[in-house]
Amino acid sequence: MNNMNNMNNVYSLYKCRVLRVYDLTEEEKLFLFRFEDAEIAETWTFTPGQFVQLTITGLGEVPISICSSPMRRGFFELCIKKAGRVTDKIHELQPGDVVGVRGPYGNGFPVQEFEEKDLLLIACGIGMAPLRSVFMYAIDNRWKFGNITVINSAKTGKRLLFRKELEAMRDVAEAENIRIIQTITRDPDWPGRVGRAQEHIKYANTSPENAYVCVCGPPQAYHDIFTKLIENGYNPRNIYVTLERRMKCGVGKCGHCIAGSSTFLKYICIDGPVFGYYDIISTPGLI
Amino acid sequence: MRYVKIKGDKIYEFLERLKNYGKLYAPVKISEKFYDRKEIDDVGEIAFDYQRTIMPAKKYFIPPCEEMFEIDMEENEYREKLEEVEPFVIFGMHACEIVALRILDGVYLNEYPDIYYERRRKAGIIIGLSCLPDEYCFCNLRRTDFVDIGFDLFLHELPDGYLARVGSPKGHKIVDENPDIFEEVRQEDIDAFRAFEEKRQEMFKFKGNFDNIRYILELTMQDKLWDEESEKCLGCGNCTMTCPTCRCYDVQDIPEIGGKKGKRIRFWDSCQFRSHGLVAGGHNFRETKRDRFLNRYICKNSYFYPLGTSYCVGCGNCTYFCPANIDFQENLMKIRGREVIHE
Repeated sequence: MNNMNNMNNVYSLYKCRVLRVYDLTEEEKLFLFRFEDAEIAETWTFTPGQFVQLTITGLGEVPISICSSPMRRGFFELCIKKAGRVTDKIHELQPGDVVGVRGPYGNGFPVQEFEEKDLLLIACGIGMAPLRSVFMYAIDNRWKFGNITVINSAKTGKRLLFRKELEAMRDVAEAENIRIIQTITRDPDWPGRVGRAQEHIKYANTSPENAYVCVCGPPQAYHDIFTKLIENGYNPRNIYVTLERRMKCGVGKCGHCIAGSSTFLKYICIDGPVFGYYDIISTPGLI
Repeated sequence: MRYVKIKGDKIYEFLERLKNYGKLYAPVKISEKFYDRKEIDDVGEIAFDYQRTIMPAKKYFIPPCEEMFEIDMEENEYREKLEEVEPFVIFGMHACEIVALRILDGVYLNEYPDIYYERRRKAGIIIGLSCLPDEYCFCNLRRTDFVDIGFDLFLHELPDGYLARVGSPKGHKIVDENPDIFEEVRQEDIDAFRAFEEKRQEMFKFKGNFDNIRYILELTMQDKLWDEESEKCLGCGNCTMTCPTCRCYDVQDIPEIGGKKGKRIRFWDSCQFRSHGLVAGGHNFRETKRDRFLNRYICKNSYFYPLGTSYCVGCGNCTYFCPANIDFQENLMKIRGREVIHE
């Protein structure tokens, strides 16, 4: 896949090797990749919130959010849920296997704008994947940000993404003014916090008037989260969400991710996937 | 702009000469009711009075199905398939279709230019042709009834020939290399051109413009009209296939028997199909037929900023080719509050 093709072809793939595979939950695995071409591997970078198109040779291509920090050059991580034909096959990948990757695509979170402010990240289920990239970026640039809170929620403890990683850093993080809140909605055996993500906004260490908020979750979760954020004094202008569609091209052509209404029609892949609160509430069809 | 005239008796010679610039494609009558664009051998076949073709000109730039990559399964390689594109001439494109092509340019040649499209676009020469509207046309409401750019030559019908506007260096080249075909424009040609344009404006079914339709549409998304009309819809996707600006495609990797080779192909897709809004895990962003039906109205009526027009150019193809007789223009008129009287 390297150098075989015209460099101007936006659909050309670059070979990536799987370095490691971690089991996160029954349905999700974390994959560590490195570009085969050493120059690409060292120079390739992205913004938290961007995604790549990943190809399993002969089977097809899927859009996946990057979940590692762009500060760590040379490799990147993807958290992938087993949800279809291609992702089933991805789950069979072993270290050493080769896949095709192109990207990064889309507008990530405006992390430069977040600097010197507090940061509240709210994730429901698989929504933790893109937000982990923001979180890791903020940790790598700790001095640039104020207080940070991550609210990670899922239905059951077993399905909580990055549960062990977040648990392991919780106490150290607290000393650094980073608060990690993990909450579960439907698990009677869960020993920790329970309830939906929005019910824990009040426990965040971020000051509402001085914070940026990133939200990612299923479409039906957004309105309740918005309501609670505003109730708690967060500025709607500082709320960002990242959306999901089945992008086929990633470059604003194939039309599968077109969403919105007739006054605000957007290609999620190039105009998003990150949108501001006011875009979301003024546009039927985005979520 | 440079204007020249082609005398009526020289038009077939002109078409013959166009073949020197590439393969000639033009509309021909293929059945009692339908026209389509085909490669032309005998220029006598060309239909000058066609209204619309069954496939829009986009097929020459985005083929209904094309191979993007050849897959080598053993080497894990995707090798791009970029065949030589021979120069070609499309004769007889109406104003709406030329605007449509410019909309496709805006999408396919944005900050991530599509090399497959770009190569074909560079190889194509566009010769426009004036037309008179039928009851399906509403390019006037869309302000796409007249084009300023996007063509190499544009021919306007005169009683004794054609007034040609020259729109590009390629167009100038054609004029300069064929001095025996072209002559100067005289006063009576200008008068005839004016009269033709005037007559044409009179013939449109509705007058005015559609500038506010996207706002009205957004405010009436709950209207029962959408329930009633989507009920009639068969979900066949004819409207999107015949639309000159619909450009959705799907991509698939097809392995060959034996499993050593394969190809990555892309082919036209339609938002009217259930699979279009499906995402991993089974959630569908356009679950119901109403959602999908309304989606096309939303998409077509939204604003394409680079050109300052909507994605719909008012060609009327979707209505003309709809097997369920759903009238796009009329539905928009109703949503706008205009009473539609059937004759």
